[in-house]
Amino acid sequence: MGLGFIIGVFGVLILSHAAYSTIQYRGLLKIMEEEFSGPPMNVVLELLLGFVFCIWAALTVPGKFLSIHPDSEENRIVSLSANLDFMIFNHRAKAFPLEIDMKLKH
Amino acid sequence: MVSKTEETQLNRLENQVDNGGGGAWEYLCLVRKLKVRRSEKVLKHGLSILNDPKKRSALGPEEWTLYEQVAIAAMDCQCLDVAKDCIKVLQKKFPESKRVGRLEGMLLEAKGSWAEAEKAYSSLLEDNPLDQVIQKRRVAMAKAQGNISGAIECLNKYLEIFMADHDAWRELAEIYVSLQMYKQAAFCYEELILSQPTVPLYHLAYADVLYTLGGLENLQTAKKYYASTIDLTGGKNTRALLGICLCTSAIAQLSKGRNKEDKESPELQSLAATALEKDYKQRASDKLGLLTSALRSLKI
Repeated sequence: MGLGFIIGVFGVLILSHAAYSTIQYRGLLKIMEEEFSGPPMNVVLELLLGFVFCIWAALTVPGKFLSIHPDSEENRIVSLSANLDFMIFNHRAKAFPLEIDMKLKH
Repeated sequence: MVSKTEETQLNRLENQVDNGGGGAWEYLCLVRKLKVRRSEKVLKHGLSILNDPKKRSALGPEEWTLYEQVAIAAMDCQCLDVAKDCIKVLQKKFPESKRVGRLEGMLLEAKGSWAEAEKAYSSLLEDNPLDQVIQKRRVAMAKAQGNISGAIECLNKYLEIFMADHDAWRELAEIYVSLQMYKQAAFCYEELILSQPTVPLYHLAYADVLYTLGGLENLQTAKKYYASTIDLTGGKNTRALLGICLCTSAIAQLSKGRNKEDKESPELQSLAATALEKDYKQRASDKLGLLTSALRSLKI
């Protein structure tokens, strides 16, 4: 959690820095009266780096991935729950009561 | 529903608790969550928590849930004194609660005084005629008294109101199977598959019922449902694999005289047989001979 979260914050900071640099670059171009064709190379690199960091954080911070396969160990249903709402009490416990002499003490 | 990981977790915890390794409360929580019937163990470990004032007060409000769980487990083990004491404590804490009233009704059931239990339930139903749990208890009571047709009638009435209750559909299906009324049971399993299409065990039970009914068409459908069970379990369900083999040989026997117009997937049976052999070799290699001879007798 800790490391991923810090890297995510770092990634967002890098992205905003890239945005700020692009705006500054455009301002510079306006003064020099040139056309804007794309951000400079180092800003593009910064963007990609920030993007990778953000993706990595988004994939690791929220938690583990759960399997969606019906036949995976977590999802494969091996037995149904006992239908406890319809439980009935006349079974062998009536003939052979349990030999525990525990009582609720209060 | 109990998935594979939950089952292993439950078995591990059960072992740990039985050998005095602690974790009794986690075990009881898991038993409650998975709705499995382990009354003897719940009674033993639940009582040991309840009798220890320190452990009991550490539970906070969960304490009352534990009282209810232990009460039901005690009734299931016919330890009626314990159940009575638990219900008394709950009664003191929650006077006029419906849930405690239901427990009292169940205690009367466990004692076998059906008339009084019926009276208790009908007075509870008067206050709230749509109480699902109490209506289900009445069905169970009819079943316990041996009045199966009464239980079916009651359950059908209940299902007309609460059609989405799959536990009730399952119960009805199981009652029908126990009476060998397979057509009706098949209908119930169809409902169950419709409401929960990803549960392989319903597909399996439906296929079993269809196979038991017999007839070429039913057998073909049964084979399809065995195949869908294999699909949903990733081929780890032995019963479904065996079902495929049995269905194929039964279909072959039935359509022997006729012209085989639809020769569908001849490799399915051999694939199932290989999967079975592999599974047996891995888990029960001493029974492999039995399996191969059984499979050989099926192949005609």
